[in-house]
Amino acid sequence: MIVRREIEERTGRNISIGAVYATLERLETKGYVSSFTGEPTPERGGRAKRLFRVEAAGTRALQVSEKTIRSMMAGSKSRWESV
Amino acid sequence: MRRNSPPAVACWFLDSVVPVRYRDALLGDLIEEYTLRAESTSPLTASRWFWSQACRSVASVFWSSLRSGDWLISMSIAMCVYIAMGMLKFAADVTISKLLAPEQTTYVVLAPVVFLTTTAIGGWVASRIRRGATIFLALIVMITVAVLIDMRVCAIPVPWWYQFGFLTLGPLAVLMAPVIVGAFVPGDAQPAK
Repeated sequence: MIVRREIEERTGRNISIGAVYATLERLETKGYVSSFTGEPTPERGGRAKRLFRVEAAGTRALQVSEKTIRSMMAGSKSRWESV
Repeated sequence: MRRNSPPAVACWFLDSVVPVRYRDALLGDLIEEYTLRAESTSPLTASRWFWSQACRSVASVFWSSLRSGDWLISMSIAMCVYIAMGMLKFAADVTISKLLAPEQTTYVVLAPVVFLTTTAIGGWVASRIRRGATIFLALIVMITVAVLIDMRVCAIPVPWWYQFGFLTLGPLAVLMAPVIVGAFVPGDAQPAK
Protein backbone atom coordinates (compact mmCIF):
# COMPACT_ATOMS: atom_id res chain seq x y z
CA MET A 1 0.00 0.00 0.00
CA ILE A 2 2.82 2.36 0.93
CA VAL A 3 4.68 1.60 -2.32
CA ARG A 4 1.58 2.30 -4.40
CA ARG A 5 0.84 5.56 -2.56
CA GLU A 6 4.45 6.69 -2.83
CA ILE A 7 4.46 6.13 -6.61
CA GLU A 8 1.08 7.86 -6.91
CA GLU A 9 2.25 10.91 -4.95
CA ARG A 10 5.55 11.22 -6.80
CA THR A 11 4.26 10.64 -10.33
CA GLY A 12 0.71 11.96 -10.01
CA ARG A 13 -0.54 8.83 -11.76
CA ASN A 14 -3.25 6.57 -10.42
CA ILE A 15 -1.74 3.08 -10.57
CA SER A 16 -3.27 -0.26 -9.66
CA ILE A 17 -2.11 -2.38 -6.77
CA GLY A 18 -1.95 -5.36 -9.14
CA ALA A 19 0.61 -3.56 -11.32
CA VAL A 20 2.74 -2.84 -8.22
CA TYR A 21 2.71 -6.47 -7.07
CA ALA A 22 3.34 -7.82 -10.58
CA THR A 23 6.38 -5.51 -10.91
CA LEU A 24 7.69 -6.27 -7.43
CA GLU A 25 7.44 -9.97 -8.14
CA ARG A 26 9.47 -9.57 -11.35
CA LEU A 27 12.09 -7.62 -9.38
CA GLU A 28 12.15 -10.35 -6.75
CA THR A 29 12.69 -13.03 -9.42
CA LYS A 30 15.69 -11.03 -10.66
CA GLY A 31 17.03 -10.77 -7.11
CA TYR A 32 16.69 -6.98 -6.93
CA VAL A 33 14.30 -7.07 -3.96
CA SER A 34 13.41 -9.62 -1.32
CA SER A 35 10.18 -9.97 0.61
CA PHE A 36 8.86 -11.43 3.81
CA THR A 37 5.39 -11.85 5.22
CA GLY A 38 4.21 -9.83 8.22
CA GLU A 39 1.53 -10.63 10.78
CA PRO A 40 -2.15 -10.65 9.74
CA THR A 41 -4.12 -7.74 11.20
CA PRO A 42 -7.89 -7.11 11.61
CA GLU A 43 -7.60 -3.82 9.62
CA ARG A 44 -6.50 -5.92 6.66
CA GLY A 45 -9.35 -8.41 6.98
CA GLY A 46 -7.04 -10.88 8.71
CA ARG A 47 -4.63 -10.92 5.80
CA ALA A 48 -0.87 -10.69 6.19
CA LYS A 49 1.19 -7.81 4.88
CA ARG A 50 4.09 -8.43 2.51
CA LEU A 51 7.15 -6.32 3.19
CA PHE A 52 9.86 -5.67 0.60
CA ARG A 53 13.53 -4.80 0.95
CA VAL A 54 15.87 -3.58 -1.80
CA GLU A 55 18.86 -5.90 -2.17
CA ALA A 56 22.44 -4.95 -3.11
CA ALA A 57 21.86 -6.13 -6.70
CA GLY A 58 18.77 -3.89 -6.82
CA THR A 59 20.70 -0.86 -5.59
CA ARG A 60 23.40 -1.46 -8.22
CA ALA A 61 20.79 -1.85 -10.98
CA LEU A 62 19.12 1.35 -9.81
CA GLN A 63 22.42 3.24 -9.92
CA VAL A 64 23.10 2.00 -13.46
CA SER A 65 19.56 3.04 -14.53
CA GLU A 66 19.98 6.47 -12.96
CA LYS A 67 23.33 6.97 -14.70
CA THR A 68 21.81 5.92 -18.05
CA ILE A 69 18.82 8.26 -17.64
CA ARG A 70 21.09 11.18 -16.62
CA SER A 71 23.34 10.56 -19.62
CA MET A 72 20.36 10.40 -21.99
CA MET A 73 18.80 13.52 -20.47
CA ALA A 74 22.07 15.41 -20.86
CA GLY A 75 22.11 14.43 -24.55
CA SER A 76 18.47 15.45 -25.02
CA LYS A 77 19.02 18.77 -23.20
CA SER A 78 21.88 19.74 -25.46
CA ARG A 79 19.69 19.00 -28.49
CA TRP A 80 16.75 21.05 -27.14
CA GLU A 81 19.01 23.98 -26.41
CA SER A 82 20.46 23.92 -29.91
CA VAL A 83 16.97 23.97 -31.53
CA MET B 1 -23.01 -5.67 4.27
CA ARG B 2 -21.22 -4.23 7.27
CA ARG B 3 -20.39 -0.55 7.25
CA ASN B 4 -16.90 0.01 5.85
CA SER B 5 -16.60 -3.49 4.50
CA PRO B 6 -15.34 -3.70 0.91
CA PRO B 7 -17.57 -5.03 -1.91
CA ALA B 8 -17.80 -8.79 -1.35
CA VAL B 9 -18.12 -9.61 -5.06
CA ALA B 10 -14.97 -7.64 -5.91
CA CYS B 11 -13.11 -9.43 -3.09
CA TRP B 12 -14.28 -12.80 -4.36
CA PHE B 13 -13.32 -11.83 -7.91
CA LEU B 14 -9.78 -10.92 -6.84
CA ASP B 15 -9.58 -13.97 -4.61
CA SER B 16 -10.33 -16.13 -7.66
CA VAL B 17 -7.84 -14.65 -10.12
CA VAL B 18 -4.85 -13.30 -8.17
CA PRO B 19 -2.01 -15.85 -7.80
CA VAL B 20 -1.72 -17.36 -4.32
CA ARG B 21 1.83 -15.95 -3.97
CA TYR B 22 0.60 -12.43 -3.33
CA ARG B 23 -3.18 -12.84 -3.01
CA ASP B 24 -3.34 -12.16 0.73
CA ALA B 25 -0.96 -9.20 0.55
CA LEU B 26 -2.79 -7.59 -2.38
CA LEU B 27 -6.26 -8.05 -0.92
CA GLY B 28 -5.07 -6.97 2.53
CA ASP B 29 -3.61 -3.75 1.08
CA LEU B 30 -6.86 -3.01 -0.76
CA ILE B 31 -9.02 -3.71 2.30
CA GLU B 32 -6.81 -1.54 4.50
CA GLU B 33 -6.86 1.38 2.06
CA TYR B 34 -10.59 0.92 1.46
CA THR B 35 -11.25 1.35 5.21
CA LEU B 36 -9.16 4.53 5.31
CA ARG B 37 -10.89 5.95 2.24
CA ALA B 38 -14.37 5.02 3.52
CA GLU B 39 -13.65 6.95 6.72
CA SER B 40 -12.15 9.98 5.00
CA THR B 41 -14.63 10.19 2.09
CA SER B 42 -17.71 7.94 1.92
CA PRO B 43 -18.30 4.18 1.63
CA LEU B 44 -19.72 4.68 -1.88
CA THR B 45 -16.64 6.56 -3.11
CA ALA B 46 -14.40 3.98 -1.45
CA SER B 47 -16.38 1.16 -3.09
CA ARG B 48 -15.99 2.78 -6.49
CA TRP B 49 -12.23 3.09 -5.87
CA PHE B 50 -12.10 -0.57 -4.75
CA TRP B 51 -13.87 -1.77 -7.90
CA SER B 52 -11.63 0.31 -10.14
CA GLN B 53 -8.54 -1.11 -8.38
CA ALA B 54 -9.91 -4.66 -8.66
CA CYS B 55 -10.62 -4.41 -12.40
CA ARG B 56 -7.32 -2.73 -13.23
CA SER B 57 -5.35 -5.09 -11.00
CA VAL B 58 -6.81 -8.12 -12.74
CA ALA B 59 -5.54 -6.79 -16.09
CA SER B 60 -2.02 -6.35 -14.65
CA VAL B 61 -2.05 -9.72 -12.92
CA PHE B 62 -3.33 -11.44 -16.07
CA TRP B 63 -0.62 -9.83 -18.21
CA SER B 64 2.03 -10.78 -15.64
CA SER B 65 0.78 -14.40 -15.63
CA LEU B 66 0.99 -14.48 -19.43
CA ARG B 67 4.60 -13.30 -19.29
CA SER B 68 5.60 -15.79 -16.62
CA GLY B 69 3.86 -18.74 -18.31
CA ASP B 70 1.54 -19.35 -15.34
CA TRP B 71 -1.44 -19.35 -17.66
CA LEU B 72 -0.14 -22.48 -19.40
CA ILE B 73 -0.41 -24.47 -16.16
CA SER B 74 -3.89 -23.07 -15.44
CA MET B 75 -5.00 -23.72 -19.02
CA SER B 76 -3.67 -27.31 -18.93
CA ILE B 77 -5.50 -28.02 -15.67
CA ALA B 78 -8.69 -26.49 -17.11
CA MET B 79 -8.39 -28.68 -20.23
CA CYS B 80 -7.88 -31.84 -18.15
CA VAL B 81 -10.86 -31.00 -15.95
CA TYR B 82 -12.93 -30.24 -19.05
CA ILE B 83 -12.11 -33.68 -20.52
CA ALA B 84 -13.03 -35.33 -17.19
CA MET B 85 -16.28 -33.32 -17.17
CA GLY B 86 -17.04 -34.53 -20.72
CA MET B 87 -16.57 -38.15 -19.67
CA LEU B 88 -18.76 -37.64 -16.59
CA LYS B 89 -21.49 -36.06 -18.69
CA PHE B 90 -21.27 -38.86 -21.26
CA ALA B 91 -21.59 -41.48 -18.49
CA ALA B 92 -24.58 -39.61 -17.04
CA ASP B 93 -26.26 -39.34 -20.46
CA VAL B 94 -25.79 -43.07 -21.13
CA THR B 95 -27.12 -43.98 -17.67
CA ILE B 96 -30.17 -41.76 -18.09
CA SER B 97 -30.94 -43.10 -21.58
CA LYS B 98 -30.66 -46.70 -20.34
CA LEU B 99 -32.56 -46.28 -17.10
CA LEU B 100 -35.23 -43.82 -18.16
CA ALA B 101 -35.25 -44.31 -21.95
CA PRO B 102 -36.13 -40.66 -22.29
CA GLU B 103 -38.32 -39.18 -24.87
CA GLN B 104 -37.41 -35.83 -26.34
CA THR B 105 -39.26 -33.86 -23.67
CA THR B 106 -37.64 -35.83 -20.83
CA TYR B 107 -34.22 -35.22 -22.36
CA VAL B 108 -34.89 -31.49 -22.78
CA VAL B 109 -35.72 -31.32 -19.08
CA LEU B 110 -32.84 -33.50 -17.87
CA ALA B 111 -30.09 -32.12 -20.16
CA PRO B 112 -29.69 -28.79 -18.29
CA VAL B 113 -29.65 -30.58 -14.93
CA VAL B 114 -26.87 -32.94 -16.06
CA PHE B 115 -24.98 -30.11 -17.76
CA LEU B 116 -25.12 -27.74 -14.78
CA THR B 117 -24.24 -30.50 -12.31
CA THR B 118 -21.16 -31.57 -14.29
CA THR B 119 -20.00 -27.99 -14.88
CA ALA B 120 -20.43 -27.18 -11.17
CA ILE B 121 -18.43 -30.28 -10.18
CA GLY B 122 -15.79 -29.33 -12.77
CA GLY B 123 -15.57 -25.78 -11.41
CA TRP B 124 -15.15 -27.02 -7.88
CA VAL B 125 -12.47 -29.57 -8.85
CA ALA B 126 -10.57 -26.96 -10.92
CA SER B 127 -10.62 -24.48 -8.03
CA ARG B 128 -9.30 -27.15 -5.66
CA ILE B 129 -6.34 -27.78 -7.95
CA ARG B 130 -5.65 -24.18 -8.96
CA ARG B 131 -7.93 -21.17 -8.65
CA GLY B 132 -6.81 -19.56 -11.90
CA ALA B 133 -7.91 -22.69 -13.76
CA THR B 134 -11.56 -21.92 -12.93
CA ILE B 135 -11.55 -18.83 -15.16
CA PHE B 136 -10.07 -20.79 -18.07
CA LEU B 137 -12.58 -23.61 -17.52
CA ALA B 138 -15.47 -21.12 -17.61
CA LEU B 139 -14.10 -19.71 -20.88
CA ILE B 140 -13.73 -23.20 -22.39
CA VAL B 141 -17.32 -24.09 -21.41
CA MET B 142 -18.64 -20.83 -22.86
CA ILE B 143 -16.73 -21.20 -26.14
CA THR B 144 -17.74 -24.86 -26.54
CA VAL B 145 -21.43 -24.12 -25.93
CA ALA B 146 -21.29 -21.16 -28.35
CA VAL B 147 -19.71 -23.34 -31.03
CA LEU B 148 -22.27 -26.14 -30.46
CA ILE B 149 -25.15 -23.65 -30.71
CA ASP B 150 -23.67 -22.16 -33.89
CA MET B 151 -23.24 -25.64 -35.42
CA ARG B 152 -26.86 -26.53 -34.50
CA VAL B 153 -25.79 -29.85 -32.98
CA CYS B 154 -29.02 -30.21 -30.99
CA ALA B 155 -31.50 -32.16 -33.14
CA ILE B 156 -34.43 -31.33 -30.87
CA PRO B 157 -36.07 -27.95 -31.62
CA VAL B 158 -35.64 -25.75 -28.53
CA PRO B 159 -36.34 -22.05 -27.91
CA TRP B 160 -33.50 -19.52 -28.00
CA TRP B 161 -33.63 -18.85 -24.21
CA TYR B 162 -33.01 -22.55 -23.57
CA GLN B 163 -29.72 -22.37 -25.50
CA PHE B 164 -28.91 -18.98 -23.99
CA GLY B 165 -29.33 -20.60 -20.56
CA PHE B 166 -26.60 -23.12 -21.37
CA LEU B 167 -24.35 -20.35 -22.65
CA THR B 168 -24.64 -18.20 -19.52
CA LEU B 169 -25.44 -20.61 -16.69
CA GLY B 170 -22.70 -23.09 -17.67
CA PRO B 171 -19.75 -20.70 -17.11
CA LEU B 172 -21.59 -19.22 -14.11
CA ALA B 173 -21.90 -22.69 -12.54
CA VAL B 174 -18.15 -23.20 -13.02
CA LEU B 175 -17.35 -19.90 -11.32
CA MET B 176 -19.95 -20.05 -8.57
CA ALA B 177 -19.56 -23.69 -7.48
CA PRO B 178 -16.32 -23.08 -5.50
CA VAL B 179 -17.91 -20.05 -3.79
CA ILE B 180 -21.10 -21.89 -2.86
CA VAL B 181 -19.25 -24.99 -1.63
CA GLY B 182 -16.85 -22.72 0.30
CA ALA B 183 -19.80 -20.99 2.00
CA PHE B 184 -21.45 -24.24 3.11
CA VAL B 185 -18.47 -26.50 3.82
CA PRO B 186 -16.18 -25.20 6.58
CA GLY B 187 -12.51 -25.37 5.60
CA ASP B 188 -13.30 -25.47 1.89
CA ALA B 189 -13.04 -21.71 1.38
CA GLN B 190 -9.24 -21.69 1.06
CA PRO B 191 -8.11 -24.27 -1.48
CA ALA B 192 -4.49 -25.32 -1.68
CA LYS B 193 -3.53 -22.94 -4.51
